[in-house]
Amino acid sequence: MKLKHVMIVLRKEVKDLLRDRRTIISSILLPMILIPVINIVMGGGIQKFEKDMNENVMVALSRSSNSPEVRELVQERILSKNPNIVLVDAEDPVKALENNEIRCILEIENSYAEKLEDGQPIQITLQYDESKTKSQAAADIVSRAIDRFSEEVVEERIAALGLDPDFLQPVQVERKNLAPNDMGNNMMLQMMLPFMISILVAVGGIPAATDLVAGEKERNTFEPLLTTMPDRGSLLLGKYLAVTLFSMVSLVAILVGLSIGYIINPNSLTIGIDTQLQGISLDPLAVVLALLITVALGMTFSGIQIALSTIAKSYKEAQTYLSFLMLAAMVPGYATMFMQASDLSPVMFVMPVMNTVAAFKMILGGSINYFNLVLALVTSIIFVILTLMFAASLFKKEKVMFRN
Amino acid sequence: MIEAIGLVKKFGDFTAVDNVSFSVSKGEIFGLLGENGAGKTTTLRMLATMLKPTSGNAVLKGYDTQKEPEKVRAQIGILFGGETGLYDRLTVAENITYFGELNGMSRSAIRERIRQLAQAFGMTDFVDKRASTLSKGMKQKAAFARSIVHDPDIMLFDEPTSGLDVTAARDVHDFILRCKSEGKTIVFSSHSMSEVEKLCDRIGIIHKGRLVESGTLEELKIKHGNNDLEELFVRLVGAK
Ligand SMILES: Nc1ncnc2c1ncn2[C@@H]1O[C@H](COP(=O)(O)OP(=O)(O)OP(=O)(O)O)[C@@H](O)[C@H]1O
Ligand SMILES: [Mg+2]
Repeated sequence: MKLKHVMIVLRKEVKDLLRDRRTIISSILLPMILIPVINIVMGGGIQKFEKDMNENVMVALSRSSNSPEVRELVQERILSKNPNIVLVDAEDPVKALENNEIRCILEIENSYAEKLEDGQPIQITLQYDESKTKSQAAADIVSRAIDRFSEEVVEERIAALGLDPDFLQPVQVERKNLAPNDMGNNMMLQMMLPFMISILVAVGGIPAATDLVAGEKERNTFEPLLTTMPDRGSLLLGKYLAVTLFSMVSLVAILVGLSIGYIINPNSLTIGIDTQLQGISLDPLAVVLALLITVALGMTFSGIQIALSTIAKSYKEAQTYLSFLMLAAMVPGYATMFMQASDLSPVMFVMPVMNTVAAFKMILGGSINYFNLVLALVTSIIFVILTLMFAASLFKKEKVMFRN
Repeated sequence: MIEAIGLVKKFGDFTAVDNVSFSVSKGEIFGLLGENGAGKTTTLRMLATMLKPTSGNAVLKGYDTQKEPEKVRAQIGILFGGETGLYDRLTVAENITYFGELNGMSRSAIRERIRQLAQAFGMTDFVDKRASTLSKGMKQKAAFARSIVHDPDIMLFDEPTSGLDVTAARDVHDFILRCKSEGKTIVFSSHSMSEVEKLCDRIGIIHKGRLVESGTLEELKIKHGNNDLEELFVRLVGAK
């Protein structure tokens, strides 16, 4: 094997692939825009949905309680402090709820004024539709508003008795979130990002791998290539490095896409749920380890991809095999996607794809376990060697090299 | 220049090439004649070190195909029939450069060689165009040029005219004769006796993997008392 030959092949393959629109789109363009697009779509959707839920909460009074006095009470004591709740008039409140014209119905005793005066409990019934998300959320919003009204009444009564309102609050609870980096709720960073990186690196080389062996066979360029001076090992290694390079290009493309997204809108990394991004401090050594694990993942998958592309009898068959490989990579990816940094177990660090997802989750979660990271790196390197050896053994097999 | 010694190739239980021996001297054109599936491609692939013989050996220009396959490959140029096998997204010059580099040529030597080949084959107009944009005839010229970029002493042609129209086939014949005039040693496979008769100094008739007859055209005619080689071929191939 000669390095010179490897480099000649690598250089030619990169030049060739860079002129292939399909490769450019799926290995560079797609990874670059994927996360920003998901953000815009998902983030925008979630934000709009949350806004819809919380604003313009239309409620109506039940027929029996729809009197001017009750309306006044609701207006003054509840709605005035909760401008997001709107009281509307409904001929048939139940029907209106059914038709989504209102989100819940309030039924208030007509004798509320006397009861309030006497210090007796007033009965308020809240009718809503559990099967409708918005109605369900409205019931929560309205009952919180009623609770506040109730507390106000309590405070008024205590004040009337000449007591300190704190008298009725013997204990005060204060909650403090100690999650590192305060990213406990950050979907984008902890769930999407590790998943995206791992999957895109695992599949990033697929178009290149399909083209470089099955594609060459299909176009009858492979046999002339095999009759040139370099040995099979050099040809394989040149192609392998080209495929690996394209899977790494995908990684770089993701990071570039993320950075551009962040520069344009710092909230773009958070899908609109949790906008606290300040104070992330990434451990540099751990980041380097995770990147090495990612590179090894790319190499492992390049080896498998080249092998499948070599085994395939045609370009079509190679595409089929490689789509199965893509699915196979998704499974461990999805399996770990929704886990939090604290759920990670050592087993995950020895499985391909999972190990990369886990490494990034750990880093973004903030509490680093170096043993697990090194374990992941060592096993990844073993996978790289095994898959490369497998691909090399195929390149030596006459049966798979010349099928016709 | 080329010495095939008892070449055998088995694919599993099937013997594709069975004890084939022949030798070709420098500057000679040797025609390997046989029907479909006779074992021509397999024989040429063994000469080109792409397949390992099950037994037997071949020596090209003094290099053993099994002991020094790289040296052998550096001495040979190959043109296989059917498709021209160019990289569509590369220009003609880039295609030729790739094979020049792989065969150990320097950049400057390649540049000079391309200039020369472009002139020789009338490719100056399209040498910097991508292969995908070329006509069939242009591609063929580019494939010729690529096969001899490293000026090999030995050329192997595997049914180079199969699927070509008459003019394109004549271009191939001209190219083969041109290689001969440059002193190259040539092995050329075909299933057409008239083609072989036109080009070859010596022929070998291969049938079901075995070399059933070989010699110069004259020798064969005398030996079989038959002036019509086409008929001779049919008789030899039909008899076995
Ligand atoms: N890689 C392989 N595996 C199994 N069998 C093979 C392989 N390559 C060739 N064969 C078989 O060996 C025999 C000889 O094939 P070969 O390609 O050498 O014939 P050929 O003379 O070139 O024929 P054609 O005119 O069709 O090109 C055929 O029967 C073919 O099916
Ligand atoms: Mg053949």
